[in-house]
Amino acid sequence: MPIDFRLTEEQKQLQALARRFAKEVILPAAAEYDEKEEVPWPIIERLHEVGLLNAIIPEAYGGMGLKMLDEVIVGEELAYACMGIYTIPMASDLGITPVLLAGTPEQKERFLRPLTEKPALAAFALSEPGNGSDAAALKTRAVRQGDYYILNGTKMWISNGGEAEWVVVFATLNPELRHRGVVALVVEKGTPGFKAVKLHGKMGQRASGTYELIFEDVKVPVANRLGEEGEGFKIAMNTLNKTRIPVAAGSVGVARRALDEAKKYAKEREAFGQPIANFQAIQFKLADMMIGLETARMYTYYAAWLADQGLPHAHASAIAKAYASEVAFEAANQAIQIHGGYGYMREFPVEKLLRDVKLNQIYEGTNEIQRLIIARHVLAE
Amino acid sequence: MKFVAVIRQVPDGESRLKVQGERVDLSGATLILDQMDEYAVEEALRLKEKHGGEAIVVGFGPERTEEAIRTALAMGMDRGVHVVFEGHADPVAVAEALAPVLREEAPTLVLTGGQQADWDSQALGGALAEALGVPVVAWTTALELEGETAKAKHDLDEGAEWVRVRLPAVFTTQQGLNEPRYPTLPGIMKAKKKEIRKVQVSLSPKVELLSEEIQEKARLGKVLDGKDPAQAAEELVRLLHEEAKVI
Repeated sequence: MPIDFRLTEEQKQLQALARRFAKEVILPAAAEYDEKEEVPWPIIERLHEVGLLNAIIPEAYGGMGLKMLDEVIVGEELAYACMGIYTIPMASDLGITPVLLAGTPEQKERFLRPLTEKPALAAFALSEPGNGSDAAALKTRAVRQGDYYILNGTKMWISNGGEAEWVVVFATLNPELRHRGVVALVVEKGTPGFKAVKLHGKMGQRASGTYELIFEDVKVPVANRLGEEGEGFKIAMNTLNKTRIPVAAGSVGVARRALDEAKKYAKEREAFGQPIANFQAIQFKLADMMIGLETARMYTYYAAWLADQGLPHAHASAIAKAYASEVAFEAANQAIQIHGGYGYMREFPVEKLLRDVKLNQIYEGTNEIQRLIIARHVLAE
Repeated sequence: MKFVAVIRQVPDGESRLKVQGERVDLSGATLILDQMDEYAVEEALRLKEKHGGEAIVVGFGPERTEEAIRTALAMGMDRGVHVVFEGHADPVAVAEALAPVLREEAPTLVLTGGQQADWDSQALGGALAEALGVPVVAWTTALELEGETAKAKHDLDEGAEWVRVRLPAVFTTQQGLNEPRYPTLPGIMKAKKKEIRKVQVSLSPKVELLSEEIQEKARLGKVLDGKDPAQAAEELVRLLHEEAKVI
């Protein structure tokens, strides 16, 4: 049997756990943390308690060794309740992934195990105030001095940056070398000269903390370098090729929520003496949302399956991320349209879906960058 | 010590149920561990954590019931017994089928949900006690072991009473007894390796199911005249208290 779409018994249990957690713990708190623009630590603690935080860490280092498909199943459920809150564990996995890909056993023990023993987060710092998509143009400098690198520069839009136990920072040893000059360094919280400034005024995903990170003569031990000098760029790209799949999963969760909310409202709201769900104008919107949801989920599962099989997945994760985030944005948009004026108000949950999922089209590589990756894959054949 | 929780798998409260050919069609429904039975599982776990011994989940129902047993194992129960039966059975027949399995386990006590979400009989706990020839304490909201006996709080309509009972005994559980834990991810992984023993039973139901229908709730459509707001509020409170009995 070459193709089997069924989930295993454990995956069904995992899905049930994540769904219940989302409904009972995240959903009731989502609007409040969105309004306050505050990181929900009590929820992060609960995520840790039930084992859903940093669960991709292998069992050898105290984690659960979740595979990408498992992560995708969980991601859809958590993001259904709040994409912003889901970004917190998702961005922690983004910080963990370079250590998994390029860390030595000693580094994995030192950095990963503590993240399994208490509610704690990791972060990933690549973007800078002056560059995002052109990642090889980074300006943060690392200068080797004996057993240390001296780090100077600024990183921007770093999810969990101020909460994280440690941040994987990508810096250049020589800007002229572009991507060949990049080094990946693990910078621990509290290292002198390392400062995190929380960014306020985000449109959506306001429960996740986004930071500007400032490094002023920060001494980072050479023992904290992942891979070799010059391998940093490759580590960053290989990381993103994986972690875009959970972004797609989160988008699927938002699309499903948009459809559920739209369906519920369309059945209740009456116009011209009948529920608006009776009108084809509404039915076609719901049908289009369903088409998007189902295809985005299937493709996300496929990308996750490729990653789990150890097969090439860079193009698939790019397709999943771009496609699912666009499907979800459009679903949120149409959910608002179906709600009419009420959809524009914070009293109803649909305007938040749109504000939140806009970011899915931007972070971990804009959808334009995803299209570059996809086009390169097409042209290389 | 051995603490047994008897559980069943039922449709999720939010599932949309259909009736086809005079039978409830569960094919599209999400099926879960009965929430009343969750209190039984949680209490068995707490008793085990406090007094040591073993916590065993006994599930009754068709093959799919194994999912609910796995949920209980993921919550932390040590092992499972699945009494497999396809079709409808009334609580007295279920209790008779479960009794030999329970006798074999020789439990310190047996816990089960005060009522089941599917057939809503509220009789399984009592019938189990009858079949085992042991006492029953229904609708417990507190439970303490005291050597050969147990002290339990039993809820009444407008109060509660504490009772003492010789063990083994059956206790039926409900909201207020405890706060059931989540089946954690490590628990789910560990549950994979836990034993579920299958027991095939043949039983003859004493109550034959003829047909099923879904209750249609008609709204009363009561509208209060709000010309005198104070009087309307008073009337509303009276209706909510005396008729709807929600406050």
